[in-house]
Amino acid sequence: MRDREVLRANRRALILVILGVVLSMVLLSMPLYSFNANVYTKKSPNTFVGDEKYQTVRAEVEAVADEYRAQGFEAEIDEDVLERVNSKGETTSLITFTVNERISKSPLSMLGIGFPSSRVLAALLCLMALALVLTLAGIIGTLDLTQRYLSRRTAMLRNAAAVALLLALLLVPVFVLMNNYTFSRQIGLYNADLLTDGKDALFAKMDRLLFDGRMADDIGKALGGLTMQHSGMLWLLLPAILVSLLSAAQLRYGSIQNSVLKAALYFFVVVVCVVTLYPYYVMTITAFRSNAETLDMYFLHLFPTKWIWSNLSDIIHRGVPRYLFNSLLVAGGATVLAMLCGIPAAYAMARMKFKGKKVFLGFVIMSQMFSPVVLLIGISQMMNTLHLNDSVLGLMLINAAFNQAFAIWLLRGTFVSISPEMEQAALIDGCGTVGALTKVLIPMAAPGIVTALIFVFINAWNEYTIATVLISTASNRPITVGITQFSSFNMIEWQYLFAASLLATIPVVILFMSIEKHLTSGLTSGGVKG
Amino acid sequence: MYSPLNRNKWEPYIWLLPSILLIAIFVIFPIIIVFKLSFSEISKAGVIGGFVGFQNYKDAVQLPAFKTVMLNTFWWVISVVGISTVLGFIIAMVFNQKFHGRKIARAILVFPWATSLVIQASVWNYIIKYEYGSLNSVLLNLGIIKQAINWRSSYQIEFIWECGVGIFVTVPFVAFCVLSGLQSIDNSLYEAATVDGAGFWSKLWRITLPMVRPSLTVSTVLNIIYVFNSFPIVYTMTKGAPANKTDTMITYLYMLSFYERKKGPATAMSVIGFLILCICAGIYMITVMRKEEEQ
Repeated sequence: MRDREVLRANRRALILVILGVVLSMVLLSMPLYSFNANVYTKKSPNTFVGDEKYQTVRAEVEAVADEYRAQGFEAEIDEDVLERVNSKGETTSLITFTVNERISKSPLSMLGIGFPSSRVLAALLCLMALALVLTLAGIIGTLDLTQRYLSRRTAMLRNAAAVALLLALLLVPVFVLMNNYTFSRQIGLYNADLLTDGKDALFAKMDRLLFDGRMADDIGKALGGLTMQHSGMLWLLLPAILVSLLSAAQLRYGSIQNSVLKAALYFFVVVVCVVTLYPYYVMTITAFRSNAETLDMYFLHLFPTKWIWSNLSDIIHRGVPRYLFNSLLVAGGATVLAMLCGIPAAYAMARMKFKGKKVFLGFVIMSQMFSPVVLLIGISQMMNTLHLNDSVLGLMLINAAFNQAFAIWLLRGTFVSISPEMEQAALIDGCGTVGALTKVLIPMAAPGIVTALIFVFINAWNEYTIATVLISTASNRPITVGITQFSSFNMIEWQYLFAASLLATIPVVILFMSIEKHLTSGLTSGGVKG
Repeated sequence: MYSPLNRNKWEPYIWLLPSILLIAIFVIFPIIIVFKLSFSEISKAGVIGGFVGFQNYKDAVQLPAFKTVMLNTFWWVISVVGISTVLGFIIAMVFNQKFHGRKIARAILVFPWATSLVIQASVWNYIIKYEYGSLNSVLLNLGIIKQAINWRSSYQIEFIWECGVGIFVTVPFVAFCVLSGLQSIDNSLYEAATVDGAGFWSKLWRITLPMVRPSLTVSTVLNIIYVFNSFPIVYTMTKGAPANKTDTMITYLYMLSFYERKKGPATAMSVIGFLILCICAGIYMITVMRKEEEQ
């Protein structure tokens, strides 16, 4: 289908694609980066502006500046006057003369210097050129063709152009951040001798970019007071490339509304996932760091320079396997007990009619209402009378009791959702109610039961509050309490704390992920249905 | 509900018995003990004396930190439950769409829910450390900031961080509750609405919200209870410092009874907290039920 409307729309989109790319090229060749290098400093105490001493020092500094000017620099002299009144009441002054050099550079001038950002810039330029070529190749002869009738090849070319522009768009912030990192952080770290590898190479590159290589050996001194600023105009690159990208998407799909919505959807999902995973990234990398690196005051490395696996063996010698075993006992025991008590109760709630059903429901809800902390005083008294204080068994019983409500609620929802006909048949065949439950209902409700089971297990595994009060003997601690031994008031051994946390987290996260599908169906059915 | 099972009048109660016993011994008895203690005189060593009427309650209300702690608890519950409900709802709406990698994204969303709160709070504690924390490290190494930022420069900010961690761990629960509600909505409803010319917002107000209201009710009621009772986050991150200024009722109560040995006021406070929860949950349940009856 060839159409005049489509021709007009496509022509407009094509022009916008080209315009966006041209605009970004213009922006990239503008002097958006300004540097201020401090090449010479002279401090002169007890000098007053305009007096004799001032004149001599000033002349001295002028001479230095002239020397630099003779070499082709644009040197400027700054004066900083600091006046103080000393203890005798006299005014003293300190004039600091600095010879500064202001340099403006365009982003394009960083090309070929060899910074990480230069490579990003090169990739960005290549992508934009590629996008232009692909757009043109994908549109020749098909400018007035409705998008639905595009040939496979043309559609692919236009797709590729859009993808190239998307990547270029993503590289813009990468370029800006890398420059920030190199100029305002890395130089400082090198000058403070915190980084040593590649210092000479980096400084030589800086020399080439900023001073055309004339500083040679003095470059380290010159970079000492370097400040960099980029104009806000740099961020105009984003809208410029975005215009190209949207037009390219329009060339491909005819309308851009859907692609924009889809892009927003993925963006949102990625942001949510990154934020969610961030603490786990921190936990994992810190677990394998050396102690010195966890306490790194200069924030040098994003990843461990060396993965210290001995952290794991160290915590094994500090009781962690014992704690994990206790947790397993507590959580496993609590789960079995909660199920043994909960399944019959849920069965009765789902299938039988009796007086006091509402009372029982209220009773169960009330048990949910009180947090263990609020009851801790009562619980510890209770445990004292039962002689269960400071024991794994006591912890097990309490966890089972506090998870009853949730277990009954989940199980009842599952049972209600299963039709009672099969059980009726079993009852008529002479099975007792127990038989009907164990032989018919439980196998049918297995997925729901497993969900409830894992739920209780995880709750009991992660429980901290009751355990921290009830358990005083070290060998009876579950893992959640056990890890706190690595953080005392004066010192926290982060690497051990997180190595143990990692061991405590991995199993439950995997378990939880396995019931994720049932979570959506099981969670609210208990409360809503029946 | 059908009759063949009810052969014996007492049978249902036998089925319930184990559960009732378990809850009675380990939940209801402690509740009774706490109620009784809140009216008794308790010495610092924990010796329980006679009936003292409302003395413990008077003492609790007159504690210097009482007002701050109550206010903190109020803000803690309101902000965590409110913001996580909104965020969870939005996330559920998005995660209910079809997109590549939805399974993985949902599995990732489960992580904070499955992790122990102590561990979660410890990790965030490390992340926002000024001297060597991971947040400063990441931002500096990305070149986003030029100097390390003190993320916990005052106790108000620390309290906001605690609320943030609370929200972080609560959002998945809300999201999954809402997701389960969203999945029960018949797609034909939306199609009919589209045919009638309804836009995004009117579909949201007229179809989505009414249909997920039961799920939202469940998640909000449970969240109010859980968040009010939440202990490990505040305890791990600040221990209520400085001077109980970041304490919520639950952590304050813990400090009172196990560090300061003031068990009398502590038990009184437990009962106050319990009553507050009952009233909140009760009001909420009644309004929701009434609304459902009206419809």
